Amino acid sequence: MRMRTLKTPMIAAFAAVAITAQTLAATAAELNILTWEGYAADKFISKFQTESGCKVTASYVGSNDDFAAKLAAGGGVYDIITPSLDTVPMMRLAGFVQAIDTAKVQGHDSIYPEFSKNSDFVAEGATWAVPLVWGSVSLIYRPDKFTTKPDSISVLFDPAYKGKISLWDDKSAIYWTARYLGYNNVFDLTDEQLDAVKAKLIEQKPLIRKYWASAGELTELMANQEVYVSNAWTGLTSKDVNNLKKGFEVVEFTPKEKAEGWMDSMMLVKDTPNQDCAYKFMSFMQSADGQCGIAESTGYFPVNPKAVESCMSDELKKERQVNNIEFVKSLVMWQQPKRLDKYLEVWNAVKAAP
Amino acid sequence: MTLTRRTLASFLALFSLPLAWVLLLLVVPYAIMISVGFWTRQFPLFHPDFQFGNYVQIFSDPQYTTVIVRTLKIATFVTLGAVILGYPLAYFLVFTVRSAALRNLLYMSVIVPLWVSYLLRAYTWKIILGTDGALNSLLVSTGIVDAPLDIFLYNQTAMVITLVYIFVPFMVMPLFTVLDNIPRRLIEASEDLGVGPFMTFWKVIFPLSLGGVIAGATMTFCLAFGDFVAPVLVGGPNGTMVANLLQTQFGTALNWPLGSALATVVLALVLVLLQLSMRLDRAGRVDLA
Repeated sequence: MRMRTLKTPMIAAFAAVAITAQTLAATAAELNILTWEGYAADKFISKFQTESGCKVTASYVGSNDDFAAKLAAGGGVYDIITPSLDTVPMMRLAGFVQAIDTAKVQGHDSIYPEFSKNSDFVAEGATWAVPLVWGSVSLIYRPDKFTTKPDSISVLFDPAYKGKISLWDDKSAIYWTARYLGYNNVFDLTDEQLDAVKAKLIEQKPLIRKYWASAGELTELMANQEVYVSNAWTGLTSKDVNNLKKGFEVVEFTPKEKAEGWMDSMMLVKDTPNQDCAYKFMSFMQSADGQCGIAESTGYFPVNPKAVESCMSDELKKERQVNNIEFVKSLVMWQQPKRLDKYLEVWNAVKAAP
Repeated sequence: MTLTRRTLASFLALFSLPLAWVLLLLVVPYAIMISVGFWTRQFPLFHPDFQFGNYVQIFSDPQYTTVIVRTLKIATFVTLGAVILGYPLAYFLVFTVRSAALRNLLYMSVIVPLWVSYLLRAYTWKIILGTDGALNSLLVSTGIVDAPLDIFLYNQTAMVITLVYIFVPFMVMPLFTVLDNIPRRLIEASEDLGVGPFMTFWKVIFPLSLGGVIAGATMTFCLAFGDFVAPVLVGGPNGTMVANLLQTQFGTALNWPLGSALATVVLALVLVLLQLSMRLDRAGRVDLA
């Protein structure tokens, strides 16, 4: 009897330890994503977590240049990164990522081939990135503060709006200014052209209230009436500002010098220990839940028309350019600048200038 | 004196931890930083090297010198602002407030903001100074201005205001201690000899408090010089400071060699400053014994 009383708690203790260890092992499956705001919204991520048993931890970047910076500062922390078109080649060249086995990504075949077979994605005989979502960068303004509807990038350089203009704190400021100056080779500007762009941007500085560093900051600048016009990630900022119901509206428009197109894709960080979860995540993001989930939380466009077939209304499909790959041709799709270092140096010089 | 086995053991027991700390967390990192400053950036990353190109770039490209000079200017204004606000405050606490309880309460109220997150306090200034902010609402509702002004936020003045507010405790703390330690008999002697309050301050109190002023100013200047949050939160397009440049080189530009060289220049500037303040302190020291 005495023996038994002693034994029972011991067995219970062992059982408890075993169960705890098991739960620990189950929850040990994790996935760390370095991504953009809105790309890991609880609504669809929680579904992925239940389905896959992988616990997702998301960290956010403010610009594409943050990916390399964060990976260089100590890899091994992230499993999946989601850089844009213009940053994908650099990730491969720097050796931060490993090739992707597309056979393990369910739904890969139904992605727009224009995206999935992009020459920056399929290189050195392997695939390096899986498209996730795409969209455009257009201009956003306050109609109540403008007498005529603006139709050109020139509005960002108009002294009439001194102190009410914002611009994304990103090397893409160079792309916008280059188009405004009438250059077509936006991603391969000559030294003279870059000098002209730099001079124009420095000339613009007194008109700028603040360079915005994150979507949240632009929303705040617009909502608090600090600025009336800026470039913005189409869909996101206008939705966020108008949802605040501040008594005024912001409206997006495409300038005659064209808007910019971008596409974000998933890349697999080199030697990630969580490959299984990473592939499960990539597959999930090509499913109806993933594609419609991210499209809903961001306002951006899906890359996988087949996946959104049943989860989007026809109206929404039209708005999100589903199966309208022609729309891409109306945009200046991002590319990695031929001389990335030079572009960054120019942008930094603009910001440092008095 | 020779170290016996016993004194060596106690020496090690007492100092090995702080010495290891200094070596591992200060000396080694500085050595790494200085050596990376000689490396070469080569797209997409960088490789070890020994060359002075990064320093040539820092001193030949005006973007770096512009920002260093701007940072020195802003740190100077912040230090001046902190002295102008902090000295009278410390003086008031030590010499005017009679009740020790009230004095402690007031002193604590100056220090307490340090417990609140720096970010939060800087962010608050955005809410105060903004176009739709508290200051503008006050000005408009009292009829002083017709429409909200946008001159308060997103410029260098906003940065100086925010930084002064944040760093003023670092000025008040050493000043309070120094003023509090001035023997009251010296002030009484001065008054007994018929010297007026202003001359007593100028000839007795101020010289004796100079050490506190120098300590507070050095601390405030160095903190403001290295700040990178105020430019991001309340600075405008021309608010970039040297710490933001460092952040860019280690971040977006991914040019650690140039960033390390720049950090070495900053370190050298701070060391010169500390040397200067130590000399000033020594020259102004009065022997109270």
